[in-house]
Amino acid sequence: MSLLSKLQSWARRKSPWIIHFNTGACNACDIEIVAALTPRFDVERLGVLIKGTPRHADVLVCSGPLTKNVRARLVRIYAQMAEPKFVVAVGSCACSGGIFDGCYNIDGGIDQAIPVSAYIPGCPVRPEAIIDGVVKLLSTLEEKPAPKKAELPEKVAAHG
Amino acid sequence: MVNTAEMKQSLEGKFDFLAGKVAVQRERRVFVEVPADRFREVLEFSMKELGIDWISTLTGLDEKETLAVVYHVSGAHGIVLNIKIRVPRDNPVIHSVTDLFPACANYERELDDLLGFVVEGLPPGNRYPLDDNWPKDQKPLRKDWKPAKAAS
Amino acid sequence: MPSVKIPIGPQHPALHEPALFDLTLEGERILEMQLKLGYNHRGIEKACEERSYIQDIYLLERICGICSHSHSTAFCMATEEVAGLQVPPRGQYIRTLVAELERIHSHLLWLGVAGHETGFITLLMYTWRDREVVMDLLAMLTGNRVNYGVNTIGGVRRDFTAEQLQQILKAMDALEERTKYYIEVAASEPTLAKRLVNVGYLSPGDAMKFNAMGPTGRASSVDRDVRRDDPYLAYGDVQFKVVTDTHNDVFGRTLVRVGELMESYSIVRQLIAKMPDGPVKVKAPRKIPAGEGVARYEAPRGEDIHYVKGNGTDKPERVKVRAPTMGNLAAVGKMLENNNLADVPVVIAAIDPCFSCTDRAIRVTDLSKGRTELLTWKELRQHGIEWYRREAGVDFSRLNKLLAAR
Repeated sequence: MSLLSKLQSWARRKSPWIIHFNTGACNACDIEIVAALTPRFDVERLGVLIKGTPRHADVLVCSGPLTKNVRARLVRIYAQMAEPKFVVAVGSCACSGGIFDGCYNIDGGIDQAIPVSAYIPGCPVRPEAIIDGVVKLLSTLEEKPAPKKAELPEKVAAHG
Repeated sequence: MVNTAEMKQSLEGKFDFLAGKVAVQRERRVFVEVPADRFREVLEFSMKELGIDWISTLTGLDEKETLAVVYHVSGAHGIVLNIKIRVPRDNPVIHSVTDLFPACANYERELDDLLGFVVEGLPPGNRYPLDDNWPKDQKPLRKDWKPAKAAS
Repeated sequence: MPSVKIPIGPQHPALHEPALFDLTLEGERILEMQLKLGYNHRGIEKACEERSYIQDIYLLERICGICSHSHSTAFCMATEEVAGLQVPPRGQYIRTLVAELERIHSHLLWLGVAGHETGFITLLMYTWRDREVVMDLLAMLTGNRVNYGVNTIGGVRRDFTAEQLQQILKAMDALEERTKYYIEVAASEPTLAKRLVNVGYLSPGDAMKFNAMGPTGRASSVDRDVRRDDPYLAYGDVQFKVVTDTHNDVFGRTLVRVGELMESYSIVRQLIAKMPDGPVKVKAPRKIPAGEGVARYEAPRGEDIHYVKGNGTDKPERVKVRAPTMGNLAAVGKMLENNNLADVPVVIAAIDPCFSCTDRAIRVTDLSKGRTELLTWKELRQHGIEWYRREAGVDFSRLNKLLAAR
């Protein structure tokens, strides 16, 4: 790895910019994601910032099962992010469709539409587990170069 | 304010086709089935004389030979009056009540999208709740509908 | 901490994609609003027909992560009516306790969201810290912070101990103190008033015409509350005020929710003082007889209604759910008439909508400029905060410092 990409990799690991997208969730995971920002859990001290637009984000944090209505929008958001980019599926619904698997308007988990870098199960996921999962994902950046678009990254499963 | 027993008496007294047909399941729960062509009259009477001013929702039902709608209405008295009408499965036409209850628009659109009712007089608006790409002839809440039939 | 920005090309808003809100403006003034809903339609009612009643409790709990107890309780109530089951008093009290704890954490969450939408960030931090007190209680009582799984057909699955009830009482005392402070701040801060007063106006006539429910309706004098009008669970045994207001605007909706918090603390104390002994559930049959049941429940957002039709099997023939936010969305168009674009995030947040607003696209067409663009929610919120700072001098930095110093 060149010095510049090592630097970028380190900076990204220390201070990821996150975009949060809900594909059809009940909001329980979304609220726990936001709770992770509040003083009790406080991810801002780790340098984690939530951004509103895909163009500034390194990590796409997704909650909710993949509904048919939202599929195209999810793919578009993923496409708008610059490489290298990572996707975290937060909650059992984002991982596999969860309790809604089998419902007629659900296509399953978000990996049915975009590649996922890390799966964090839970219903909902506790804020500690969300933080733990994101940190675990970012710590893998030091060991290997960022995955190319065509590759499906390895699953990094975190405990829920 | 009218009470549950009085509501039953009043409906049966006013409409001869309802004699003996108004069911009081418990306090504050009244169920009645009304011929589709008399529904509007019964609803307007309830609003005028029985303190009905609130619509909670509409439930669409696939009852095999017919389709049915239950209108769940109430008022300050807290009584829920559940009025059911039936329409033929091959011609499920109902009339919008959005002139009386504007909040009904999406409840009626849902009857169209999920069960195939034809709602006359529905104000224009986006379909609800299915996606624009969902085929209009696929009605998922019908009893004979299975996911494999839908184009994704 | 420095962060590396990765430059990418210019953003092209995709105008073909469905926007949740479609706004037509003349300059800053809103002329018209169209809603496109259904993005999180999952197909739950159909799934209910294919699963057993017990499985449906867990499914319906997850319609909404904040009203989860509302939905599972309403479903159980409707099913119990079809089956002719009487939940024992202690079971009713436990259901009611969890219901009020849910209302408390939901309203505290809303206060934080209101702070976030207006730029009053410290309010978010403070109220969500308070909310954690309730989350901890619920996790202790039921095993989960959200989606408590406390209901079963016929009653509840867990009993609460005397020690747990004492802990709830202590938490109510602490929260009441803090809530009183928020009331002081909300009622007397001119900065907050500028963002909330006369915003999202809904006359009492219109509120009734649209059947606006919950705090949204009550802030426009709609004096309806299912707990008083159509009593269920243990509400018949406790005294409480139905909080209404005459402001008819977002400020009123704020006052109603804060007033309801105070009433909830009182209801919880009364329930614990009168808690009956005895079993917490009755045995329910696996097969529910043919019949219909209708349950109504005053969720934090308003009336939740469930209809259940049994057919003698272990799976329902039909389950219909109308969650409260659906009932309030019709009134939003009315509320936004003649408001400014800058008011949109606050007005929508004020009905306490049960959907995530962090990502919904908003399409804005400005007739005076002849231009259409797609905004993210965050861009809309920022516009609101900056517009009010420019036009009305609304700046929360002093207030944020004041609250942070406490």
